Amino acid sequence: MSLKNTLRVGLRLGWCAALLATAGCNIIEFSPNDHRVPDEFTDLNQKNLTRLLAKPLPAGDTLRFVFTGDSQRFYDQAEDLVKAINEREKNVQFVLVAGDISDFSLAREMKWVDQQLRKLNVPYLTVVGNHDLNGNGRPTFEHIYGALDYSFVYGDTKFILIDTNSREYNFNGQIPDMGWLNAQLANTEGARRQIVMMHVPPDNEDFDPALVSPFANSLARTPNLVCAMNGHNHAYRIGPLYNDGVTYVNSDAFSEKHYMVVTVWGDKQFRVKRVAF
Amino acid sequence: MKKLILFLWLASFASLAARAATPPTSGLGLRADNPHKWYRPTHLQLQTGGGLGMVAAGAGYDLNKKKNLELDILVGYVPKHYGGSTLTLASAKVMYSPWRVPISEKLELLPLTAGLYFSYTHGTINDELPGQYSKDYYWFSTDTRYGPMLGSRLTFLGPPIAATGQPRKISAYYELGSNDLYIVSYAGNTKGLSIGDILTLALGVKVDF
Repeated sequence: MSLKNTLRVGLRLGWCAALLATAGCNIIEFSPNDHRVPDEFTDLNQKNLTRLLAKPLPAGDTLRFVFTGDSQRFYDQAEDLVKAINEREKNVQFVLVAGDISDFSLAREMKWVDQQLRKLNVPYLTVVGNHDLNGNGRPTFEHIYGALDYSFVYGDTKFILIDTNSREYNFNGQIPDMGWLNAQLANTEGARRQIVMMHVPPDNEDFDPALVSPFANSLARTPNLVCAMNGHNHAYRIGPLYNDGVTYVNSDAFSEKHYMVVTVWGDKQFRVKRVAF
Repeated sequence: MKKLILFLWLASFASLAARAATPPTSGLGLRADNPHKWYRPTHLQLQTGGGLGMVAAGAGYDLNKKKNLELDILVGYVPKHYGGSTLTLASAKVMYSPWRVPISEKLELLPLTAGLYFSYTHGTINDELPGQYSKDYYWFSTDTRYGPMLGSRLTFLGPPIAATGQPRKISAYYELGSNDLYIVSYAGNTKGLSIGDILTLALGVKVDF
């Protein structure tokens, strides 16, 4: 290798490094757990919520949203999903993603998912999944997406999004936070109906066995509950889990190449349409 | 894993201690052809980034006579503010630099350093307690990372050390790298991700003696 060529290799590598370092993409990463991201990637749930609430559902319009989940490490599919929703679903108001946003709970992954989903024409909202809580996923998710338990009211419906990934807390008896859930269910904040969204459903072995009954009973006691929605299983499922009148809807994962369009009306009626993409 | 981290810690501290304990080079006790005891590191370094710490300090060894193959042992630190919890990282790097290009009397360039690293992170919040997960529940480790890197190094040659006749060297380097999880992410998503998405950068200085 001639001196000129060697110098050229060195210069090129150096130039690449300098370009990337100044590109504002936090390439000088302290650790994969380093959760520094540009400001545009922080507090995403709140930012999307602000966008959603800025356009309230007009009276007489039907509440309709896309339901999906488990985006983890399916970035190519995420691109296809966004394209499909933007092209076909002109009448949805937002998209719900039922957790496992990332695969390894790393900040970069959450940013990569947002880089795809921010191209949606409508806002999207997430709930935390077990794959978002490994290692230092907890503070990472809080920094990038926001609170692990939160709620909002839109289209006369109160949405309650709750962390049910009990195994990630080694079944400490506090996840899901029943006190928080019961307080949320008790106060409809003026909404006509309620929807609870979580990642791990109560019939799954990753849900705290001690809290399965209290959780299911709380939902069953809620008179205006439309349905409970979850992810985790990477498989479409809709129906009751217990003989208590509560319908659980399990989303498709991004890898299943399907999403659902959920339409809600009346006191607690809803319809689910499954769409391939 | 506990043993490994302990080993890395001990190795890095032992090498630093050995360096500290060595009296200033007098030129009397050392022979030019064998100036170092095997355990005495041949260089020290300080770097930021590369997934190995906000600050990582280390010591290293030349592994061959040509001095183009090196092993570095580093201990890194990430404050809670950036890492979610205070993290300590123990890392090992093996670097190969095939070319050494003199630029001037006092400057030389290593246009390419190619290497592999391994790191272990201590101090994560959800650190897989015994019995928390069934075997292979997660196929990846949250604490152990490894990956490739490519970089360059610019070396300033100082006045020679009396004992060895070798010039003192101070180098500045950068390394572009990635890790196993980022590479796996990119591998299945060449449309949704770009190479730039998975790169990390380390900047550092290195002193040879």
